[in-house]
Amino acid sequence: MSSVTDTLPTRPTRSKMSDEGFISSLVAAVAISLFLIASLLVPNFFQWQNVVNLVTNNWAVIALGVGVSFLLVSGNFDLSVGGIVALSGVLSVWFAQSTEGANALSTGLGLPYGLAIACALLGALTIGALNALFVVRFGIPSIIVTLGTMMVARGIAQVITHGSQRNTNLPEAFGYLGNLSLFGTSIKFPVVLMGVLLVVAIFVERKMVFGRITYWIGANPEAATLSGIDRARHITKLYLFSAGIAGVVGILLASEYKSGFSNRGLLMEFDALVIALLGGVAIAGGFGSVIGMFFGAIILAVVTSAATGLVLSPDWQFILKAVAVFLAIVTQTWALARRNK
Amino acid sequence: MSSQSKTAELSVTSGAANFLRNYYIYFVLVAVVALLSLANLDQFALFERGNFLNKRNIINILRVSAPILVVAGAFTLLMVSGYIDLSIGSTMGLTAVIYAMLAINGMPFVPAFLLTMLAGAVLGAINGILVVRLNITPVIATLITLSLFKGIALLLVQDGVSAIKSGGGLKMPAWFNDYGRDGVFLKLPAAFWVAVAVTLVLIVVQNRGKLGKYAAATGGNPTAAKLSGINTGRTVFLLYVIVGVTAALAGIARSSFMSLGDPLSGDGMELTAILVVLLGGTAFSGGEGRVLRSFVGALIIMALTVGMLTIVPAYYQTLVIGAALLTAAATNHLVSQKGKVS
Repeated sequence: MSSVTDTLPTRPTRSKMSDEGFISSLVAAVAISLFLIASLLVPNFFQWQNVVNLVTNNWAVIALGVGVSFLLVSGNFDLSVGGIVALSGVLSVWFAQSTEGANALSTGLGLPYGLAIACALLGALTIGALNALFVVRFGIPSIIVTLGTMMVARGIAQVITHGSQRNTNLPEAFGYLGNLSLFGTSIKFPVVLMGVLLVVAIFVERKMVFGRITYWIGANPEAATLSGIDRARHITKLYLFSAGIAGVVGILLASEYKSGFSNRGLLMEFDALVIALLGGVAIAGGFGSVIGMFFGAIILAVVTSAATGLVLSPDWQFILKAVAVFLAIVTQTWALARRNK
Repeated sequence: MSSQSKTAELSVTSGAANFLRNYYIYFVLVAVVALLSLANLDQFALFERGNFLNKRNIINILRVSAPILVVAGAFTLLMVSGYIDLSIGSTMGLTAVIYAMLAINGMPFVPAFLLTMLAGAVLGAINGILVVRLNITPVIATLITLSLFKGIALLLVQDGVSAIKSGGGLKMPAWFNDYGRDGVFLKLPAAFWVAVAVTLVLIVVQNRGKLGKYAAATGGNPTAAKLSGINTGRTVFLLYVIVGVTAALAGIARSSFMSLGDPLSGDGMELTAILVVLLGGTAFSGGEGRVLRSFVGALIIMALTVGMLTIVPAYYQTLVIGAALLTAAATNHLVSQKGKVS
């Protein structure tokens, strides 16, 4: 990606909040006010259970958003995550299905479940490695590479499932992880995992060298290289990290539905990108935060669920997403420009 | 580090590299057609004679190719100027719906055709405003409009129906199919000849016209282009409008061929367009690329996708197109001397 010397954040003085903190609070404020507005308009919207649902229904996209945000901060796109979700889910099913099935779609490799998900994860990481190879070694723009690998990953899933799904002849253990309820509540294991991932990601982003290097690379790739940072290695790690998250998400979704469906995760890569952008992550790199991305996801969730509550046709969601991203980008640019005048 | 030795190596082989860069696409086309003709297609019902180089088959492939052939040229010029449009698929879907709606409500061919082209120009202008005026990164701006146009197209079609088609008291006029299906010259439909004409015009524009030179200058070095007095903003805006119009032509062609206005009929078109343009050797960093080579690239991809359907099941398509995209990008990088973006 091009360098963005003119958007380098000015070092804040101690008394002033950083630009990232400012944007994150702005996004959080917007998310909360949108929720309140929706509560006024939509009957039964203002409920604790609804707040919980806004997060738990979107755990997959939020988890994917973490990897995508880190890559965006480093100045790279990752549009392959939706494809990887489909691929790892389908692979985990195919590896775990027993060997004697009635037809091609019910016959798998018969591996034990633990080994099956390990191999499925390996498949996901292979796509991540492919991304890194093309972006880092060949220097091909990440948007084109990851659009290609998205199709390759989904394409492999379609070939394995013959364009539909595999859901028979699975071992007992298969549906366990995705449907496991924790703490005696309705909160499921994948949601908790997403929460842990968020906390770890925020810690890495704020407090660890790995996170800070990601910002340097995005803010000024040349300067990062000159100051001795191995850019290729770092971006490779980020792509593996993102593909790994997408792999786990795919495996958990496959487990939840007890099926490997080649169209699962369709458009999830766009949603992950959309929530990162809503959350103030800059497309040019070097700016953004995981907290912002999380509230971006809440904004999207509130808007879409409120629209469903108002009985708008589901076709509205595309227009709503477009308008939300447009407004987010325009306001954030405007707010930052005003603040740093 | 190795850039010096690389430059030296390139200058030695630059004659061969140049030749390869200029003409490889034609070799690829010949190779693809030769391979597909050698494959035994007897057992499949799609082609009557079991031969890829059958006249009916060639006509059929060229008919289906009209949409991608008509956008390839304009898309090339846009990428030459260093910009991208991810919304062409949605533009195509929306204009297909608009065209079908106008026709089914009784508007004659010519005004419906012109109005749909105008709609395409407006959609392109929206992209242009987002990118040029509001300074939003092209990828994001056109992702926004991708979502927006698709949403509008879906809303225009009534709930419970998947596309604009005959039924409920309304009937598609008899002429609706003619544009995309009826052979007017060499048994090929008007849609194909419009694509050829658009490509010819754009070749002239690229070689002789100001717009072509400005596009190359903008993509090669935007700052230098601005300093030498080129209005890069206007160039880019105009290119977005042209891409919008060609996407509308593609929408009309597709809609007429399928005789319905399907809001999703353009899905994935942006990927095909990128694939075709990269295959044609356009540098993704901007600055270089040829309209004609993208046209040939489009022929290759259509021959491959249609031909492939006769050899492997349809569910292999996504994988093959994805792999082709990656291969084209990698080859493009190897062949192009300018493949050094990070």
